[in-house]
Amino acid sequence: MDSLSIYAARASGLHKLNPVTKFSLTLFLLVLGLALPGMWTSYLILVLIIVPLAIWGKVLDRLTRIVLTISWPFILSVFIIQTLFWGKGTTLFEFGPFAPKLEGAIFAFTSSGRILLIMADFILFSLATRPDTLMISLKQAGLYPGMAYIIVTTLQLVPQFAAKANAILNAQRARGLETQGNILVRARALLPLVMPLVIGSLMEVEERAIAIEARAFNSKHKETSLIEIPDSQVQRIVRIGMIVAALLAIVIRILWR
Amino acid sequence: MIMAIINLQNVTYKYPLTDSPALTNINLQVNEGEFVAVIGPNGAGKSTLCYAIAGFVPHFFKGELTGIVAVAGVESHQSSLHEWVLNVGLAFQNPFNQISGAKYTVFEEIAFGLENIGVPRDEMKSRVTDAMKLTSISDLADRSPYSLSGGQQQRVALTSILVMQPKVLVLDEPTSQMDPIGTREVFGVIRKLSEKGMTVVMVEHKVEWIANFADRVLALHEGKILLAGKPGDVLTSHLLTDKGFGISRYTSVARKAKEMGLWKKDGLPVTLDEAVEGFSQGRENLAPTQK
Amino acid sequence: MLDNIKKEFSTRTLVLIPIAIAINIAIGQLVYTLKLPIYLDSIGTVLVGALVGPWAGAVTGGLANLLWGVVPPPLQNAYAVPFFYVAIVIGLMAGFFGKRGVFEKESPRWLSVVIGAVFFFALALFILAFVNIDTSAGFPVYPSMKDLVAQYLVVFVLAAVIGAAIGYYLLQNGGYTGLAGLATGLVAAVISAPTSAKLFGGVTGGGTDLIVAAFRADGGSLWASVLAQGSVSDPFDKMLSFMVVWFILRSLPARFKAR
Repeated sequence: MDSLSIYAARASGLHKLNPVTKFSLTLFLLVLGLALPGMWTSYLILVLIIVPLAIWGKVLDRLTRIVLTISWPFILSVFIIQTLFWGKGTTLFEFGPFAPKLEGAIFAFTSSGRILLIMADFILFSLATRPDTLMISLKQAGLYPGMAYIIVTTLQLVPQFAAKANAILNAQRARGLETQGNILVRARALLPLVMPLVIGSLMEVEERAIAIEARAFNSKHKETSLIEIPDSQVQRIVRIGMIVAALLAIVIRILWR
Repeated sequence: MIMAIINLQNVTYKYPLTDSPALTNINLQVNEGEFVAVIGPNGAGKSTLCYAIAGFVPHFFKGELTGIVAVAGVESHQSSLHEWVLNVGLAFQNPFNQISGAKYTVFEEIAFGLENIGVPRDEMKSRVTDAMKLTSISDLADRSPYSLSGGQQQRVALTSILVMQPKVLVLDEPTSQMDPIGTREVFGVIRKLSEKGMTVVMVEHKVEWIANFADRVLALHEGKILLAGKPGDVLTSHLLTDKGFGISRYTSVARKAKEMGLWKKDGLPVTLDEAVEGFSQGRENLAPTQK
Repeated sequence: MLDNIKKEFSTRTLVLIPIAIAINIAIGQLVYTLKLPIYLDSIGTVLVGALVGPWAGAVTGGLANLLWGVVPPPLQNAYAVPFFYVAIVIGLMAGFFGKRGVFEKESPRWLSVVIGAVFFFALALFILAFVNIDTSAGFPVYPSMKDLVAQYLVVFVLAAVIGAAIGYYLLQNGGYTGLAGLATGLVAAVISAPTSAKLFGGVTGGGTDLIVAAFRADGGSLWASVLAQGSVSDPFDKMLSFMVVWFILRSLPARFKAR
């Protein structure tokens, strides 16, 4: 699959689920991870729920690779900053002028868990669901079609755009633009990139609008869909169950304080 | 009298916030199955003419439109744009901008228009399959539209319009952004469609190609029709060079040759074949060793 | 009012929004990797607000942050997702200012100079106040303004001069736009601080972390440091974003703006 989307086509049960079910699950796990207290909650959800789901969907290897690749700068940052600059607390050890604190480490651990959960949650969803299938389901449930169009188009356009930005950046580099160095140098690298990119794309807006109008985008007819989205009574019940459980988790959170 | 399928009478149009009209007093009747090519320098109003036939002028661009623009007997200002596009298909230069972005495969991309007008699923599938066969892109069905070459994308765009079964096809410089291979592919499709009886209005710069395939040529200049008639007549007229049109290099060479007495035929050539044929006729005058 | 909302979402707007979101993400991601202490991930949002209106701007901002979490890596940035409400507000404000013609009115040059000078003066004041917090009494004691100015007079004068110059060259005749950006940035800083502190302890993995670290190192509490970082980065960042949009709007042909 081209790098245009994270979606990884697999013949798995997870992939065959209705996209709204999967999306509800994603949101449910998110609420669970953020609402339930404790520094281990996020990690528990990751190991007990997300990993088995990923195995079911035959995407565990991809999931792990992507999540670790994108989360390490954050985790590194959070550990360094929170442990070293925590302020008052229990000192773990001392070296030179630094005295990392236990409370800071715990905070960093919790924060990392949260971010890992959020990332794994959404990436698992993206790996197992083609975005337009979700939009089609939501449209059938009443979502404003313009919104569905915006979301899917954005997902396809962003990587295109980034490629364009990269091309401009490389072209400028070839002309001698410096992108490494002190802050001023890096800042100056921005402007010759931003202007052509933005203005060029704005000029495309009118043609693109004409192109979809030419495909009867604003037709008053009732839309049909080429793709058929599977659903089942069981899934409907599970979705309602998740909403209830999510509300429960929020209640627990409020009561815990 | 056969009623023209495209009928423009005294059409004048001004874009909003502009002082001078983009089109003035355009009169054009196109019969069913005809292939009309439109030529002209930049700013002549060629794109505006396309938009007028396709209904985007005035519905999309607003502005002031006077006169009659009718396709198959229905006037454009009496229709809404989303109904009008079902009768008139429009494709233009930039293939990338014609991809909706809302679909992940070529097959679905082509079906996009049919989904919007509510065609039942089975009919959609057969219409898309047939249209893809017509434009020879059946092998691209599962590809992402963004992974295609320019020529392929343009053919997908054409197919996406064709699948809606318009009565008339309007093409605004469909090969201007193509490489030679892409150009050949796209021209191939357009020619096939025309031979099957589709009414086509096409803006194009590649004069040699027009000469071979167009039934009629329209030369636009500053929003008015300068010349209209058979390709052979229009494309070799002096008026074109006077007004700054690009003309075929064969024409300019032959014109020079005519001045030097080396071109014996009456009319001037537009295409390579015509030039070869015309120059061959003058070979009787050459010395035997040069034959 | 529903009609006003509907009117904003023409086909052109529906096509513009994905492009604007792509602008947000492409530039924002670039800035993130260049580790500059700003965000610059709202240019698209402000653009849509200015060109179309508040509702379109709000949708652009909200969706941009939410979708930033699900675009394929290396563009993906989950950190932006919880701040979607901030982006919505930025879009609303940009649209609000856009409708009032702020992006079109030319301001006198001296206004830009004043704005720059005042902003940098306030910035210096803010930073120095934090640096000089006295925690010996067990709770933070902020030094008085008079003492600060007297102690660091040179710094303040320098800040005002630099600010004036930046105002003159950067803001030019876009003083009103710059001011609108500043205001939006301040609002953004305030409403994003709670989330920033609560969720991630003020850390993003980007260049702004350095500012948080600096404030923490000087004894600032978590909350205060995050708010401080936001107050330093956000107003400047939004002012910059607004100015970029101002420059872009001036470079567009008139026909484009008639929508």
